[in-house]
Amino acid sequence: MTQPARTPSGAATGDGEGVWRRSWFQALVVLAVLVAGYWVSRTAGHPSWAGGFPTGIGDSFMAWLDGIYAWIVQNRNDSPLFLYFFNYVSVGLGSAVVLINQALDALTWVGVTALGVLSAWRAAGWRVALLVLATFGVFALTGLWNASMTTLALIITSVFIALLFGLPLGILAGRSERFHRRLRPALDFMQIMPAFAYLLPFVLLFGIGNPAAAVITAVYALPPVVRITALALREVDRGAIEATTSLGSTPWQVLTKVQLPLAKRTILLGINQTIMLAVSMVVIASVIGAGGLGDAIFQALSKVNVGQAFQAGLAIVMLAIAMDRVTGAVGNGAHTPRVPERLRLPVLGGGLLAVLATVVIGRSFDLGGWPRNWAVDIAAPVNAVNDAIESAVGGATSAMGTWTLEWVLAPLSQVLTGSPWWLVVLVAAALGWIFGGVRVAVLSAGSFVLVGLLGVWDNAMDTLSQVLVASLLTLALGVVLGVLMSRNDVFATILRPVLDAMQTLPPFVYLIPAVALFGIGRVPALAAAVIFALPPVIRLVNDGIRGVPAGAVEAADSQGSTKWQMLTKVQLPLARGSLLLAVNQGIILVLSMVVMGALVGAGSLGFDVVFGLAQNQLGLGLASGLAIVGLGLFLDRLTQGRRASHA
Amino acid sequence: MSTPIAESPNTPAEATDVTFSVRNLWKVFGKNADKVVGTDLEKADRETITAQTGATVAVRDVSFDVRPGEIFVVMGLSGSGKSTLIRCLTRLIEPTSGRILLDGEDVEQAGEQRLRELRRRKVAMVFQHFGLLPNRKIIDNVAYGLEIRGVGRAERYERAREMIEMVGLGGQENSRPGQLSGGMQQRVGLARALAVDPQVLLFDEPFSALDPLIRRDMQDEVLRLQKELDKTAVFITHDLQEALKLGDRIAIMRDGELVQVGTPEEVVGRPANAYVADFTSDVARTTVLTARWLMREAFPEEETDGPSVEPGTVLSQVLPLLASSVAPVRVEENGELLGFVGRDDVLRAIAEDQLEEEGAFEAIVEDNAEDLPDAAAEDGHGETAPTGNGG
Repeated sequence: MTQPARTPSGAATGDGEGVWRRSWFQALVVLAVLVAGYWVSRTAGHPSWAGGFPTGIGDSFMAWLDGIYAWIVQNRNDSPLFLYFFNYVSVGLGSAVVLINQALDALTWVGVTALGVLSAWRAAGWRVALLVLATFGVFALTGLWNASMTTLALIITSVFIALLFGLPLGILAGRSERFHRRLRPALDFMQIMPAFAYLLPFVLLFGIGNPAAAVITAVYALPPVVRITALALREVDRGAIEATTSLGSTPWQVLTKVQLPLAKRTILLGINQTIMLAVSMVVIASVIGAGGLGDAIFQALSKVNVGQAFQAGLAIVMLAIAMDRVTGAVGNGAHTPRVPERLRLPVLGGGLLAVLATVVIGRSFDLGGWPRNWAVDIAAPVNAVNDAIESAVGGATSAMGTWTLEWVLAPLSQVLTGSPWWLVVLVAAALGWIFGGVRVAVLSAGSFVLVGLLGVWDNAMDTLSQVLVASLLTLALGVVLGVLMSRNDVFATILRPVLDAMQTLPPFVYLIPAVALFGIGRVPALAAAVIFALPPVIRLVNDGIRGVPAGAVEAADSQGSTKWQMLTKVQLPLARGSLLLAVNQGIILVLSMVVMGALVGAGSLGFDVVFGLAQNQLGLGLASGLAIVGLGLFLDRLTQGRRASHA
Repeated sequence: MSTPIAESPNTPAEATDVTFSVRNLWKVFGKNADKVVGTDLEKADRETITAQTGATVAVRDVSFDVRPGEIFVVMGLSGSGKSTLIRCLTRLIEPTSGRILLDGEDVEQAGEQRLRELRRRKVAMVFQHFGLLPNRKIIDNVAYGLEIRGVGRAERYERAREMIEMVGLGGQENSRPGQLSGGMQQRVGLARALAVDPQVLLFDEPFSALDPLIRRDMQDEVLRLQKELDKTAVFITHDLQEALKLGDRIAIMRDGELVQVGTPEEVVGRPANAYVADFTSDVARTTVLTARWLMREAFPEEETDGPSVEPGTVLSQVLPLLASSVAPVRVEENGELLGFVGRDDVLRAIAEDQLEEEGAFEAIVEDNAEDLPDAAAEDGHGETAPTGNGG
């Protein structure tokens, strides 16, 4: 095979190099080899030398893990490590969640609402305050007030932990290049790891329930605040730092008087992202026994009660959007009402008094959480609507689902699981080499062998097939929509807020409409993954094309390019960086969602994680979790291309 | 080329009367920075050093003295190392080797604490891109230096207000930097530096980012403040006109080395080498050279009753006097006769200027060598240059 043939300017590839030097052609050849290998293996009746990965090592590995788990369960109350550390943390966090929950309860529902609305007004103006009011309204009227307060308490606890560790880490990384270099791979790794893969190790240490959920959520939500704080400090005008140093500032003075104040806005945006990640993880953590809204969805989905899931989903969507708007407004300060400096204290005091008065009134009427019998049940009507939709389009969607399953998913899955395992490993390595060079090739082969050694080869290949199909769909749709968005300003104006809202939603809620349309199985998981991963892809394609220098477009115009020529010869090649990033992001998001699809019957690795959790089979659960990480690593590095090797 | 460039012969090095004394200063960037100074590579050119070690020489074996009360200008093109040089003076960039004395105190030896003390009280800097804090009001920007050394709020605000008034920004105390124009922002930068009442001001291309008219205003402002406050200043610029206007003495820097150090007249009148000559060829000599520079003894039988001028008068102001008088002008300082400047002397100086500009100077000089006996000595490659003669 020839040297990987990707020249720095994608547009210049070809011309005298021949089609076989192009990476997409090489990739096609490699895939053809895989299919041929599958066919040979099948006609030979799947001999043992050409079958799936031998499971011996994996089985003993799982048994070993199960042994560890048994040991931990036995010694959880004896081992000093648990006795004096993990159990304390666990109890502490558990009581923190309970305490906050009780505090919210003590404020009564009127008090919480008054506090929330008033602080939203102060931070983000009256529009957001109305949004917050509506959110509390949804909490109350859906009868999910208490669940919402539990979720809120969990979010507060975990965000607090995340910031407690994240801000100092970010500051250190912002000030020390060496520290930043060491931290970065860890953060990268955390960000490509699908949320589901986080669950098990923490359950191992903290047991099932709110404490583990709080820790997992904190860890999951940590990367953005660290990254963005570091970035914000780095981006502070070097001139300002130099000038203040030249006046004799101590490093501490530079940090507190220059860097932090100037980086404040950006840091707040990082905190906003951390909060949003916390919101999505808190919902997922219901799988390991965290209470709250996530649990409500989880229960409803497992009963395929779309109406109930919709109610809880609505509450979460409102919560996510309100949280995003409030914290985002604190960050960019755009809509913060202007209060003159001398009035600030009186306004604060007045607000506090108002809240206090509401609480006193609330308590004197013996209010607590929102009374359940005041709730408006929308589950039944939603279910009715859902049934109506199903009877109207159900035939079409289920036919579509079946078709996808039979003609796309199943064959692909068969090729991957039915081919000799070593051929699949070789194909992965070859693809890695074509798209990323030697290091990526080694890493790709390594991840596949690891997946095999873990003993979950078949399930992993099945998951991979789902990911591949969903990714192709996502990218095809995303590029088309992104190009349209970049060419039509009206469409862009309409689409942008929709994408904004979609990106703030926790992935969990995407399962609800998917189930409503496609029922249970792999297809709804696939649909959810596509919808979930689509917004960032569309956005990156659009940004990339719009970011093409106007000069280049003008020059191409002046030479008489057609619109199509402009797109294919100028805009897309010049937007290559964004497109590659879109592919990368799309695939990683698809993976995390496909795995979560286990909750709606997508099976495979995700199911093993959930099953392992439910059945206390740590070996299976952890091996599946690690296999997810392996797949994630492979897909990420493969699509990062040369960027990784440059870094 | 690496020999330290001596001060002009007429300035004996009095150790006590020097604010900044810099000796054999090197700054090498890169991993192998320590493998250049003191090795054979020391004398190689920049490209060779970069090729062999990967290190970049920014400042090479630079020595000079800055005297109290003077404006010492370092001039060079971008990449000549001048900005690195000025940052080495207070170790904003750590020098690779060499010695820097500030009022006789070795800056290299100063501990962190002492270094901060020097920066807080003795040396303040003004930057090309201002380096203001956009989140602070003007008054808090100006008061920053006092704030960090623990001066109380009332006191530092009073001082800051004074400074803001002094640079002509009265009434802008509560604005933010973003609301001011570039020139006004640089006035804030100046006020901030002056607020700590430093002994030395360091200017790093402070006016390069400003429009020409505003630049001229700011240059006048610096000259005015310099006269009023009697500060010592080191001023970096890439603009020769600015250097000539502000500098008591000018150091010309190229590829990290000082090529020539001298008064504006010395630099223009006796460039140390072709590079400086080329650099100064666009300057109208009549606006730089003074009567002192051209004066000579009276020729025998020459009339000596011409009008008199101060020795510091530039030629362009001597011209009208000569035009109205046949006799050469008398150069007098406090009534004492120093010498004479005649029409021929001025014409020759102007001729050099014009001819050099056309690039035909060398040829003409050869043709007229007998008529202009001094010309050869005063062209761009003259041996009599007061600088660059080693040790």
